[in-house]
Parts: sequence; structure tokens; C-alpha cells
Amino acid sequence: MRTIQPRPRRAIPVEVPILAAGLALAGLALAQPLGGYATGIAMQAATCAIAVLGLTIVLGYAGQITLAQASFFGLGAYAVALGTADLGLSFWTAFLMAVAVSAAAGVALGLTSVRLGGHYLAMVTITFQQIFTLVLTNWAEVTHGPDGVPGIPRPELFGHALSDTRHYLAFSLVCLTLAVASVSWLRRTALGRAMEALRDNELAASVNGIDTVRVKVIAFALCATLGGIGGALFASGFAYISPDQFSLAESIVFLTMALLGGVKSALGTLVGASLLIVLPEVLRFLKEVYLAVYGAAVVLIMIFMPDGIWGWVVLFGDRLVRRGPQPRTAGPLRLRREAGDPGDVVLEVRNLAKTFGGLKALDSVDLEVRRNTIHALIGPNGSGKTTFVNVLSGLYRPSGGRIRFGGRDATARAPHVLSGRGLARTFQNIRLFRSMTCLDNVMVGAQRPGNDLSAEGGGVEARALSALDFVGLLDRADALVGDLPYGHQRKVEIARALAADPALLLLDEPAAGLNTTEKGQLVELLRRLKGLGLTILIIEHDMPLVEAVADQITVLNFGQRISDGTPAEVLRDPAVVTAYLGEAHVRAAA
Amino acid sequence: MRRLLGGLAGLALGAAAVAGSALAADVIKLGMIAPLTGGAAETGRYQMNGARLAVEQINKAGGLLGRAVELAIEDDQTTNPGAVNAFNRLANDSRVVAFLAPIRSTQVHAIAPAIARTAKPVAFGGTDPKLTRLKNPWLFRFRPNDEISAGAIVEFGTDVLQRKHWAIVHATDAFGTSSANLLVTALRGRGITPTTVQGFTTATQDFTPIVLAVKNSGADIMVSFATADTDQAILAKQLKQFGVELPWIGSASIVSATAMKLAGADLYGTYGLSDYAVEASPEATAFAGAYKAAYGAVPDFFASWAYDAVTVLAQAIKAANSTDPQAMRKALLETRGFKGAEGTYDFDADGDGLHSYNIVQNRDGTPTFVKRVEAK
Amino acid sequence: MSALPQLIVAGIGMGSIYALVALGLVLIYRTTNVVNFAQGDFPMVGAFLLVICLFHAGMPYWAGILVALAGMAVFGGLFNLAVYYPLRNRSYLPVLISTLGASIFVQNTVLAAYGPQPANLPPLLPLRGFQVGGVFLDPQYLVIIVVSAALVLLQYLFFEKTYLGKKIQATAQDKETASLIGIPVRWMIMLTFVYSAVLGGVAGILVGPIMYFSIGMGTAIALKAFAATIIGGFGDIRGAILGGLGLGIIENLGAAYISVPYKDAFAFLVLFAFLMVLPQGIFGEKIAEKA
Repeated sequence: MRTIQPRPRRAIPVEVPILAAGLALAGLALAQPLGGYATGIAMQAATCAIAVLGLTIVLGYAGQITLAQASFFGLGAYAVALGTADLGLSFWTAFLMAVAVSAAAGVALGLTSVRLGGHYLAMVTITFQQIFTLVLTNWAEVTHGPDGVPGIPRPELFGHALSDTRHYLAFSLVCLTLAVASVSWLRRTALGRAMEALRDNELAASVNGIDTVRVKVIAFALCATLGGIGGALFASGFAYISPDQFSLAESIVFLTMALLGGVKSALGTLVGASLLIVLPEVLRFLKEVYLAVYGAAVVLIMIFMPDGIWGWVVLFGDRLVRRGPQPRTAGPLRLRREAGDPGDVVLEVRNLAKTFGGLKALDSVDLEVRRNTIHALIGPNGSGKTTFVNVLSGLYRPSGGRIRFGGRDATARAPHVLSGRGLARTFQNIRLFRSMTCLDNVMVGAQRPGNDLSAEGGGVEARALSALDFVGLLDRADALVGDLPYGHQRKVEIARALAADPALLLLDEPAAGLNTTEKGQLVELLRRLKGLGLTILIIEHDMPLVEAVADQITVLNFGQRISDGTPAEVLRDPAVVTAYLGEAHVRAAA
Repeated sequence: MRRLLGGLAGLALGAAAVAGSALAADVIKLGMIAPLTGGAAETGRYQMNGARLAVEQINKAGGLLGRAVELAIEDDQTTNPGAVNAFNRLANDSRVVAFLAPIRSTQVHAIAPAIARTAKPVAFGGTDPKLTRLKNPWLFRFRPNDEISAGAIVEFGTDVLQRKHWAIVHATDAFGTSSANLLVTALRGRGITPTTVQGFTTATQDFTPIVLAVKNSGADIMVSFATADTDQAILAKQLKQFGVELPWIGSASIVSATAMKLAGADLYGTYGLSDYAVEASPEATAFAGAYKAAYGAVPDFFASWAYDAVTVLAQAIKAANSTDPQAMRKALLETRGFKGAEGTYDFDADGDGLHSYNIVQNRDGTPTFVKRVEAK
Repeated sequence: MSALPQLIVAGIGMGSIYALVALGLVLIYRTTNVVNFAQGDFPMVGAFLLVICLFHAGMPYWAGILVALAGMAVFGGLFNLAVYYPLRNRSYLPVLISTLGASIFVQNTVLAAYGPQPANLPPLLPLRGFQVGGVFLDPQYLVIIVVSAALVLLQYLFFEKTYLGKKIQATAQDKETASLIGIPVRWMIMLTFVYSAVLGGVAGILVGPIMYFSIGMGTAIALKAFAATIIGGFGDIRGAILGGLGLGIIENLGAAYISVPYKDAFAFLVLFAFLMVLPQGIFGEKIAEKA
């Protein structure tokens, strides 16, 4: 066991002070002497903030835009309103109904929008929102139409009716506190990391075992559920609701709240929601022009506080209190050794073809990779190497041929399924989760489904630290990966793949952009990995490096395999010399 | 700690009460919630002007109980939460003795729970009949409700205009939908089923499908309910374009100053159902004169209901000789035969003050009083 | 009489309004990759500027139009400087929120400056509407269709045939390379916003005589225009026109034959179908990400 510094005492999770502060605030709400005006605004802010926390998950964590949050807020509100006032259910039954209905709607919206991003996703959600409003207004037999629903009762809690608005405010604040703490805690779970990975790089997330469809749908479902809970509390708090309170304009306000406060943190969202409820009230003295001032304030905050108000506060706080890097310790990296002979075929590719339109990028390619060998795939630019890796890892569907991996068929499987079976890869143009730390990046690799080694010992974090230590970056574990030099980023990407305990590691041009020293380190790293029993398929341009590490070489040209064998055989093959090596030697000499 | 906080709070409240009573000797405050921004901002101005005119007249005549009257206005942003915040803000001021709530029924619904807690008289202009049946003793309506309007339309259309084939066009907002339903019910009482009922979203820019439906339905009379005066104006224009000529009774917005200015000749000859008509009574004419002198414009029902609300509230305070909420409530409920700009106020037990509607006709751009229809 | 021809004619009228706004939306999207949620407010500002010129400054119609369009050019420049330019290197989200904030600001500034009363403009041509084979035609719609067609043609010629147009296109495709080969990217973006605002102003002036416009009129139109651009294919001028006209017609037919209260839903349902089946639209770019 290698130790850099003694292990520090585990810090108190941030949720503890959040819970304490929230409960204290709820207590204060009970005792406060302020009148109905301040209490009403606080209640509005608290219930809206719960809904906006949904956006922290879907937009802040998972990076998916939605302009339909007011519709989920409305679903929750109407479920409680119609459930209590029309169906005569108790508040709590209606509340459960609100949660169920909004979660189901969230799943539905999530499922329809999994393949869309950016402006398109914005438009799908706007569509959902607009149709929701129209139905609410026109389906009067059920929703009461534009008249709205009056007389929504307040709940009873432990036999105590919350008819006093201060008591109800305290209840709302407790709910809000629990929501803030849960959303904050979510970020540190495997699911939270998966969402952030999805946000930063969807492709890289999928090849690291994240089922992006599932994570997106869960994110939308959680977002909708929080919206529904906020709406349920809002309806009961204000006793009357009508369709115009759940319109697109309200969705826009929710989105603005999230971004203004700082969408990546639960506390930021809270700040944004409170501010946007309070700001118009504070600006009331401006009379007719206050909405104009409010609009201008939104623009200015977007320009001058890129990460929202809370992001700005955190940045300012970091400047005041400089924290050194946290000392980390790591055990040795272990890789699973499967039963079987070293010569077994791990990957078998037969007649693989891929066409784009009329262009044949791959044309009946055969390839076998044997256990515990380093197999190199080479070829000139445009010969189809990267296409080959993309088909192997499930990013492209093959047009023909079969792939067997680990003795099972692996043709046209989803990337995360292949990752779950032990296929790991890196990318030619590095694909890291840029806004996450090195450790978090590697933890995403370590948490892939079916990784038994992560379950042993210190869990996902310990495994990730071992992998980082293996590539020599343990001391940068807490650095943001985007801040690292290029060579280090390559190593983090390899560590992420190693942490997944791969049965086969695909390296797509790992030496691209590295200097001579770094290339030397890479050769040494590859040899150490082979020593641990790993099987590697490497795609490379750099011939000296390939000659130094490869046990077996396959050569592609114009999408076809033109040679296959040991380095010595391949290098003597006249077809290879004419097609490729001349060019490569000139490049290597330059 | 809790006791200390409570004690401090008590101290603060006590101080506020002392300060409040010292100031209360100077003015009587009326709180007014009106849309200054948002979709209905335009109507907010008329309402403010109407209320201000009444306050000025009261103060010129020596105020109330020897004190000056002051209007405290808060914006409701044309939204329900905005109305709740505006009301709560006004209610926080103990010097406010009574309130003017918005003209939109949903907003009144939204603030009704807060009104019940505040327990002070609130004058409002929303016409949803349900509002005065909420068992909320503090709500007083200063406009005829939509049941009265439906009755008046049926009576005028069948008895005076002798029509049998009715087309109904309504906005799908709270006012439009519920008015249309009430009219359908009232027509059923006469054994009539409308030939077509068409709903449209407020702020529609193109009425072609609706106009064609009305034209092809064989209707010989049309009724329109719209909150937005621009909707009435566009509808008028497109009806003219498609050559649809039939007697048309519109809800109050058809005779609003804005609709008549925008639509011009396209609205000539149409009937409007208005709580306010300049020549309906000497009081209405006097109000129009005073309003024109003060603001240089002709008032409409937005201005007149607010004017009446302030005047009647003042009357009740005088009659009660107090600003005690219960005393004011009692005086309001006892108001009989008070002649305001909109009509004669006789409050019933529910808190409905007006029981008649004026039918006016747009004659070359001037709303001309035709008939007053009393509720039965 | 069959209502169908009349419904289609009216649909084309509204559709050309969506198309005009969509055109401005597409232009800005092409140079900046940003969807401007305040685009719907451009016609509103243009129309109100003309109202002020005509009814408050007493100018003749043609002079009022010139002054209003010049005002829109300035407005477009200021909009760029205040709302887009400081955020040009950030992702689409902050810019999106910034344009939403700008929309609130613009609407309420007009409210504070002009007041809440709706307005409308006198017709551009002193003609009454006329009937052709039982179909009523409003000459104003003809003006809109002719002017839109002319603008589309001009825009096409400008982008495809002039040097300046090509420079803007280069900026749209790749800002870095464009600046490397000496194109003043900053000015190209400025020019786009100015032109887009003027285009919005033209739309406002054209629809002014048909609609009774108020400060909030832009939001609804902008959403439909946005839907039109996606249906037509994001970033494509032909698509914006086709999408806009198509939406206008579908809305009217849906309202007449299915349900009037759900009129606004038809545009969104069509959009939704496109997003699910053909997200790249009719003329659109591919949206799949490459590895």
C-alpha cells in the first residue's frame, strides 16, 4: 500500500448543515411575527423552489433543457386540488397521487425526448407545456376549465391541522429542506455521477457503461416528481389554483430561477428561486417599470455571473479560503484474471462491413484478438480504423458481419451493454467529462455495471484512486480534468477505462499529440498492463510505438484488411509496404 | 429564546399599533389591487382613474369622518399570485380599512382565502356568480353578475329583437366559458338550442374558422363573450369582410373605449351589454362629465365600477360612522337604492349590489343607451 | 359554399407572418447558432415605432416607415451589444435566458414608454377587400405575400451572389476559420442582428394594419415561428417559409374541422410529429453527433 499522506478524517457531508439550517428556518417560520404578506411570499418561494430543484437535476446535473416544469408543477397542483376538493380524498392520498401522476408524465416526456438535445429538446418541452395548458383550459368537465379549483384544504400533520399559514410555511420549509438535501446528496451518488457524465459527454458516458436513455428518463422523472411535489404544496397552501398559473411563462420563470442562482447546485437553485420571487416584490416601488428592470437584471446576471449567483459566491469564497489538494492514498490496481488459456480468442470479428450512404468505410474485415496480447490495428488515414472501433464499441451499427466478444455475440449491441461485458475504450480526440474532477471521471469508469472489483475493498472511490495511481496521477485526483495538460488528460482517459476492469481495452490513437517522453511513458504503461494480464487492441499511427509493443498487427486500407500477422510478418508484406509503410516512415522520420 | 423573540415581536407590534393609530387620525386608506403590468395593464389605468376620481371628490367634499381618504394601489401583474401578493401587502397595513379587488374573477378566487383571514370588506368587479356564494362574508360585488347578463341577453334577443337562431362565440377564459354556459342554460329556459357555440383562445388574430362557422350555421343573432376588447374588434372586422350581417350582442368589452376606437365603423350598430352607459341615468352622465374633465377621455365600465366602489364604501363608512369592519359590513348590506354611475345598488345577503344590465347600441361610434334590463 | 379555399387563404395570410419572423430567427441562428427568444418582440417594436412616427410625430406614411426601419436597425445593433455579444463564447443556454430576459425588458419598456393600449396601423394600400369566386381577399395579405417573396429573393441573392453575403455565410459556418482568413467576424454578427431587426420591423409594419397589436403579441408569434423553423429544417431559409405557411394553413383547417379552442395545439402537434419522425425537418441539417 502506497501512502502519500496520512488519510484525513472524513469531512462532514454538506447535507448536515443544510438540514440543520433548514430546520432552524422552519422553526423561525413558526415564531416569526411578520404578517401575511411576508409569509405568503415565503410560502410561494418555498413551493416554487422545490419545483426548481427538479431543474437542478435535469438541467444542472444531466444537462437536458426543459421548458415544461410548470406543467409538472401544475400536474401536482391539480392532482391535489381535484383529489381533495372534487373526489374528497385526504390530502395525503391526493399527495401520493400527485407524485405518481407527475412522475409518470416525466417518464413519458423523458422517453419522447431521449434522442433530441439542445433547441430541439427545448421545443419538445414547449410543445408538452402548451398542450398541457390547452387541455387544462378546455377539458372543463374534469379540470374546471379556466375557472380554476377553489377550496383546496390544508393537510393535517400528526393530528394537527396546518390551517395557520405560519405552520404551513414551516411544513413547506421542512419539505424544501429535505428536497435540497436529497438533490445535493444525489450528486455524490453513482446515479448523480452518471447524470453529470451524460451532461459533459454523452458518447463517452455510453461507452463507460451508462445507459443514457435510462439516466435521461430517470432525470426527467425525478425532475417531474419534484415539480409535482412543489405544485401539490402550492395548491394546498394557496387554496385556489387556475390554469394560467401553470403556463409557459411560468416555466420560463422556473428556468430563469435555476440558471440565475446557479443550476449546478441545489443551494444555487434555492438562491435563484428566492431571488426571483422576492425581486419583483422589492422592485414594486418602481411601479410600471419594475418588470423592465427585472428583465434587464436577468440579462446582466447572465453576462456577469456565468455560473449564476451561487457559482459566483462559491468562486469568491474559494478565493478567500485557499484549500490545498486533499491528500489521497491508493492501493495497487487489480484486474480480474479470467479462467482460460492466454491464447483464447477474446474478440472475433467476421466479415464486418459498414457503409455510409454509398461509401464503404469497412468492407468484410476479419480480426481476432487473443487473450493477454497487444494487438495493433494500423492503416493510412481514412482506412477505416476509427470506424472499426466505433462499430466494435456499439456507437455505429454494422451494415454486415458478426462480432463475438468474450464468447458471446456482440453485434450491434448498445455501447453501455458492451461496456457492461467488459469492453472499455478511449477516444482519438479525448472525450473526458470536462467539468468533473479526475477522480470523478475515473469513478464513472469504475462504477460500470458488472464490475465486481469495485464492490470489493473500498468500493468505487478506492478503485478509481488505484487506477489514477497506476497512471501516475494520484496527486491530481481532485483537480478539474479540463485544467490538466493534454498528456495528463490522455492518462486520465486510460485510467477511466482501466478502472472498469476491462476484458478488452480499445485504445484509439493514444499517442496522438504526445511528446517523446510521454510516448516512452505510454510504452512502459502498456507493457505494465500486459504484465497484469490485460488484452489490448490499439489503433495507432506511430510505427515505432507499434513495433515496440505489438504482438500482432492487422492492417486496413480503404476499409479492407490487407495484412495480418506478427510485426515481423506484416512489415515484410509487400502490400503493406506499398499501401502504408512508406508514408508512415516518412512521417516518423520528420 | 422563543419567549424573547415573542416579546420583541410584541413590542414591535405594539409600537406599530401606536404609530398606526396616530397616523390613522389623519387618513382613511383604501387599498386597491389593479393590473398595472401584464395582459390587462390597459384596463388597470381606467380602474385607477375611476377610483382616484371618486377619492378626489370625497376629499373635496371634506373627507370621511373628518379625515382625508387615501388610495393605496398595488399592481397584480394580471396574474393570480400577483394578486395574492398585492392583497397581502396591502393587508399588512393596518390603516387600510377596505379594499378594491381586481375585475378578473379568477384573481378574486385566488385572494378569497386571504380576504377571509383579513376580515375587512372587499369590493370587487369579477362577474363569476360563484364568487358571492363562497360563504365569504367580506366579498361585495359592484357589477351585475354573469347570470344577470345571460338573462338580460335572452330577454333582449327574444322579446325585443324577436330572434330564434342563436350563435354564441366566446373566449375560452374563465369569463367567456362560464358566460357562454350560463347563456346556453338561459336559452334552454325558452326552449332554444343555439345553432353553434364556438370558443376561441384570447388574443386570437384570425377568426376565419369561427366567422365561417357562424355564417354557415344559419344563425339570425350572434352573442360574443370576450375579456379582451381587441378580440371583439378583430371579430367585428372579419365579420364585415365576410359579409356576415346579423344582430350582434357583445359582452361589456364590445363597448369599451378601446374596442370602439380600434374597430371604428365595423362595430357600428352592434349591441353591447354594459354595466355602464353614459345616458343610462343622471348619475352616469355626471360621472362621464367629471371623468372627461379630469382625464380628457370617455369613461367605460372599468372606470365606473371602481368609481362606484369607492363612493359606496365611503357611503357605508359614513352610515356606520366608523371604520370597524363589522360595522362597515352591516352598513354595506343595508345599502338600498344608492344611485351610482353603473346603476342602483341594493345589496342582497350574498353581497351582490347590482341587479340590472344596460343594453347599449354603438351608434356611429357612440354607445347609446337602449334599455335597462332588470333581473327577475 | 365550401369553406376550404377561404380557410387556406386566411392560413397563408397568418402563415406568411410566421414565415417573416422565422426568417429573422433563421438568420440569427445561422450566424450565431443561437435561438433568439426575443425575435417575436422585433415586429412589436417596429410597429410601435411606426405608430409613434405616424400618430405622435405626424409624419407621412413613407417617411414614418423609413424612420421606423432606421430605428429598428439601431435597435438590432443595441440588442446585439447588450444581449448577445457579451455571451458569444458561452453555450446556448445563457444566451437563451439572456434573450428571454431581453424580451421581458423590451415588452415592459414599450409598456412604460407607450402605455398599455393596443394600436393598429392604417392599411398600406387604400383598397377595400374584394371577393374572388366566393373567397374574400384582403389586399393587405397580398402586400404581405409580395413583400415576403421579394425579401426571400433578395436574401437569397445577397447570400449566394454577393461577397458580403458569402462572408456572413463563412462566419456562420466556422467563426474561427472566418476570422483567420480576415473576415471581421464581429461586424458580420452585428450586421446580422441589424438586418434581422429590420426584417422584424418590416414584419411588424406589414401585419400592423391586420392585427391590433399589443406589447405581448410577439411571444405567441415567436413560438409559432420557432416551430415553423424546426418543421422546415433548422437554419434553412426555404424551410422557414414553407414551415410558416404550412403552420398557418394547418392551424386554420384544424380549427375549422376539428376544434377551435384547440387551434394552437395543431401547430404544436405537427411540430411534435416532426420532432419524433423527422427531427431534421424538411430541408434540415443532420443532428446526429459523430464520434
